[in-house]
Amino acid sequence: MAETWITSVGIDLGTSTTKLIVSRLRLGRTSSSFSLPRYQIVERQLLYASPIHATPLLQCDEIDAAAVSRIIQQEYAKANLRLSDIQSGAVIITGETATKKNAEQIVHSLAERAGDFVVATAGADLEAVLAGKGSGAEARSKQVKGVIANVDVGGGTANAALFQRGNVIGTVTFHIGGRLIRLNRFGDIQYLSPQIRSWLKEKGMQIAEAQRITYAQLQHIASEMARSLFGYFSGIEGDSSYRLLLAGAALDKVPTVDEIIVSGGIGRLMEGPYPETMEEVSVYGDFGPLLAHELKEACRSYPFHRIPAEQTVRATVIGAGMQSTEISGSTVFIDAKRLPIRNLPVLKLELHREDLQSADRLHKKIGAIMDLGARLFGSKAVHPFGIALTGFDYCSYASLQLLADELAAGYKRSFPASDLLVVISENDMAKALGQSLSIRCQGEPEVICIDQIRVEHGDYMDLGEPISDAMIPVVIKTLAFHD
Amino acid sequence: MSDIQVNLLLEKVMAELQKRLQREMPVEAAGAINNAENGAANDRTLFDPVSMLPNPRDKEGLAELVASTPARIGVWRTGTRPLTKTMLQFRCDHAAAVDAVYGEVNPTILDQFHLFTVETSFEDTENYLKRPDRGRILTDAAVAKLKARCMEKPQVQVVVSDGLSASAIDANLADVLPALLDSLKAHKLSSGTPFFVRGGRVAAMDHIGEVLKPEVVVLLIGERPGLVTADSMSAYMCYKPRKGTVESDRTVISNIHRGGTPPVEAGAHIGTIVKKMLEQKTSGVNLVV
Amino acid sequence: MFKTAKVLGQTYQFQNLKEVMAKANEEKSGDQLAGIAAVDLRERMAAKQVLADLTLAEIRSHPLLPPEQDEVSRVIEEGINEKIYARIQNWSVAELREHILSHQADGEELRRISRGLSSEMIAALTKLMSNLDLILAASKIENPAHCNTSIGQKGVLAARAQPNHPTDNIQGIKASIYEALSYGIGDAVIGVNPVIDTVDSVKNIMIATKEVMEKWAIPTQNCVLAHVTTQMKAIQQGGPADLIFQSLAGSEAGNKAFGINVALLEEADELMRKEGTSPGPNHWYFETGQGSELSSEAHAGIDQLTLEARCYGLARTYNPFLVNTVVGFIGPEYLYDSKQVIRAGLEDHFMGKLHGLPMGVDVCYTNHMKADQNDMENLGVLLASAGVNFLIGVAMADDCMLNYQSTSFHDIATLRELLGLRPAPEFEKWLEKMGLMKNGRLTEIAGDPSIFV
Repeated sequence: MAETWITSVGIDLGTSTTKLIVSRLRLGRTSSSFSLPRYQIVERQLLYASPIHATPLLQCDEIDAAAVSRIIQQEYAKANLRLSDIQSGAVIITGETATKKNAEQIVHSLAERAGDFVVATAGADLEAVLAGKGSGAEARSKQVKGVIANVDVGGGTANAALFQRGNVIGTVTFHIGGRLIRLNRFGDIQYLSPQIRSWLKEKGMQIAEAQRITYAQLQHIASEMARSLFGYFSGIEGDSSYRLLLAGAALDKVPTVDEIIVSGGIGRLMEGPYPETMEEVSVYGDFGPLLAHELKEACRSYPFHRIPAEQTVRATVIGAGMQSTEISGSTVFIDAKRLPIRNLPVLKLELHREDLQSADRLHKKIGAIMDLGARLFGSKAVHPFGIALTGFDYCSYASLQLLADELAAGYKRSFPASDLLVVISENDMAKALGQSLSIRCQGEPEVICIDQIRVEHGDYMDLGEPISDAMIPVVIKTLAFHD
Repeated sequence: MSDIQVNLLLEKVMAELQKRLQREMPVEAAGAINNAENGAANDRTLFDPVSMLPNPRDKEGLAELVASTPARIGVWRTGTRPLTKTMLQFRCDHAAAVDAVYGEVNPTILDQFHLFTVETSFEDTENYLKRPDRGRILTDAAVAKLKARCMEKPQVQVVVSDGLSASAIDANLADVLPALLDSLKAHKLSSGTPFFVRGGRVAAMDHIGEVLKPEVVVLLIGERPGLVTADSMSAYMCYKPRKGTVESDRTVISNIHRGGTPPVEAGAHIGTIVKKMLEQKTSGVNLVV
Repeated sequence: MFKTAKVLGQTYQFQNLKEVMAKANEEKSGDQLAGIAAVDLRERMAAKQVLADLTLAEIRSHPLLPPEQDEVSRVIEEGINEKIYARIQNWSVAELREHILSHQADGEELRRISRGLSSEMIAALTKLMSNLDLILAASKIENPAHCNTSIGQKGVLAARAQPNHPTDNIQGIKASIYEALSYGIGDAVIGVNPVIDTVDSVKNIMIATKEVMEKWAIPTQNCVLAHVTTQMKAIQQGGPADLIFQSLAGSEAGNKAFGINVALLEEADELMRKEGTSPGPNHWYFETGQGSELSSEAHAGIDQLTLEARCYGLARTYNPFLVNTVVGFIGPEYLYDSKQVIRAGLEDHFMGKLHGLPMGVDVCYTNHMKADQNDMENLGVLLASAGVNFLIGVAMADDCMLNYQSTSFHDIATLRELLGLRPAPEFEKWLEKMGLMKNGRLTEIAGDPSIFV
């Protein structure tokens, strides 16, 4: 295969700002010439980064869809990019924006207008991970020992992802952000996010909209917010006030964090001088600069080191544009005319060695997953879901036959209206399994089987068009809007 | 139900299911996959090297190092010499490798796939090792047998040979061969009568090419055994192999065994490669894949 | 007709020098495979007798592969120091042997004579030497070389750390490097044989090995043993390389089979001078091994020992830092059993040393050879006694990528302690700083790779 580049865009629609990047990703062979072929992304180049636009809002709880579209179109023109050039990428709607009432429609319509295979996605967990990739935290975790927490602090939320040896070991989100308190140069509070009111109350800080706040009070709030955040990551007992700032679930267990990277708009504000007056604090109409510097100060009294982010305000968009695409294995079973497929939900089928050796056990397990699929998507669904195979390390031909028998029969029985069966395997076996399934299905349904992709329950996948007739780009995302 | 509702429902169900799954099935599966990715084979009876270091500076770190490679690291020492267990493990693995060279393919497996046997003029293993040229030429009896029993001028001729590891055939044939035959079928390619060659070298496919005149020969052959595994197989493929065919005309998938290139996937991919050979009428370095 | 000899009442006739050279060889399955070996011991002795009486001038005037036809011959011919040659040209090969083994001939003298000798003369000499002759003569010669650091001094036994991994997994490669370092191995080079032949992958391994060296301030050199053209591209794209590697053959046709020629080596040499990351002056790492020319049908009827000598003749024009004969890798059709491998290892080491080369040996075997680890331990002792510059260090001797066995980290540490040999001086200082070695012995923490995690 000759040198192949794919163009990928990233769009980050955040609480306060919107930005876009264009990148190109090079596919390279990562297997020996005596092995089965395997191609992966071996180089990523940033071609264009847009200026940072204020996110256009109609009201506090509604995004100006038309204005967002205009921004994107202008930026594409500046980047000299046609829609048909774009092969992959992601639009991510971040922070509190995702709770705006038209967020979901916006993100879908953007995805359609942003290019053929730009996926729409949102969710604090994914955002945290993308930001950690974009900020350099993931890469750093491969270099150094220990756990690296990337905290992407924007206008509305702080999304933390914990990395160890290049793997994500947890994500957690807090209502900590620069625009949670908006004020003017006199300290008149113009907006106070309801998300932090109970926390303020517990901390004994009685403030409300339309009130005037002093510099010292505001500094105290910012400082306490920083302590709630870092207190959580340091595992220091005593202060449980972070609970009131949590958006979603806390980590089951907080590991020992060795290094902290702060990205996002707040990460960038940490670079400037300390705001000494209310006028300096409120330069963006919120308390972001003060929060940034209190985070910076507070960090010194915790056991972890703070490492500067490689990207701050653009960490998420860089992550979305340059790090969201994966490449499937290069020996797969695909059908070009059925691709691309968007927003395919995934159900995970975890099989163990014993399951692959017993028709009975396999029948039960596959039956259960089909039943679950039928309950969730209805038995008349045409493209109900993809089946993600995981849990075993080796599959003999005999096991493969058993698996193909049960999968084909189970799927046909549960989803008679479906004309396509999609299987995603962690192990390198997609071509073999695809062939075996196809022999059994004879086109009813058709079969797509890809491998060397790891997906989780509840993930959604976008499967792109074939590259060199041998593999496909894949974007895995979580479409979980916080309500 | 709107998409969003489905999403929410799905998420809740999944979260619950996930929790239950995690309770039932701990992390062993993830570990197994990591090993496969790192190339750490499962064939070898792995001892626990970590426990051999009496006082590692970083126990967890050591475990990660050991898991990242099939190389024999973290083995410790007595003075400057290896520990007895490590040394004996090494000798056991060497014994398995030597046995693979001098061993015979289990006849049951050949019967299972209805493979009849012919021989090259290798005579005996010592001669086979010293005279690779002998392993490239079939005996007269073998030529006669092929002419009598095989379809002439098949599109694809599948051949199996022990090569340097009989145990590679025992371990992998049942996974590779049927997957390979499926893949030929899937690509609507016809194949001739498969057979087994005792004492074969890779270039035996040239002589077979001369005798049966197939368009493509696929040779599944045991590789020179290593200590990580003695059971590794290669699939050599060549478009119209004949006398004078050079090594660069052959395409190969090597390291086929359960800890390396997955046998069923290797078999399944052969059909794709053979199809390209037939379309491009070439193989080896000239084949565009 | 060229020469006749009478042995034990039987007369043997030899058509030409090529035949004498081939038949004078100790038994090698490769020469038998080529159909050029002596049929029995008597014929072998007849050939040795003829060879012993030939003068160096006779050998030079009967080129086995004429310089007009072969560029390796040209390089060797042009490399001969005529003044020194003139002084010794009338010596017989027997006289050369006796001079070399005499008490008068010290290391300086051997290095001087070496410059007047062609590779064929050195090969002829080797055929007349016993194993102990080879060890003794080699031990006189000190051929140090300098890249980032120096190795090859008397009393030093250096080692290549060979941290290969079956899928070039960077973490896995690093794990083996750590294990090697913890046993005091890696002073010759941290040298990886890659599985994946792409420029990207080669460059990544260059970067990863360099990262380890920089992080721990290790005084050594890195090398990724891909084809020279792939390394060149990786270096041009910014890959850090202290050494550049290539396998050599002893004939132009053999090198063609390796995808190289003299012009390409010159080009790579030039690139290293401009873009290599080491001060040098020695920045080449060559590998050789008896039998490779026959395996590519490029032997021109010449025996494998003589062709091996010609590799060294080619190598010496590039003043390499490391030359390594991978003595038992090629298989039983060239070196059948441990006896042949041990002999070839001693021959190659001596011939390389007499060519003035910083010679190391990969003491190794494949699993289809009649040899085992005990044989390698024997050869390791012999070569360490002979003053070999470096050996190859592989975790427990088992190369999990190339599927053969070499010498282990333990083996090299053992040879050092047994024979009072030391790692390269700068490297030993580093080992002391790391607390891994004290007074030339491994300390209690040696063997714990997790100190580098």
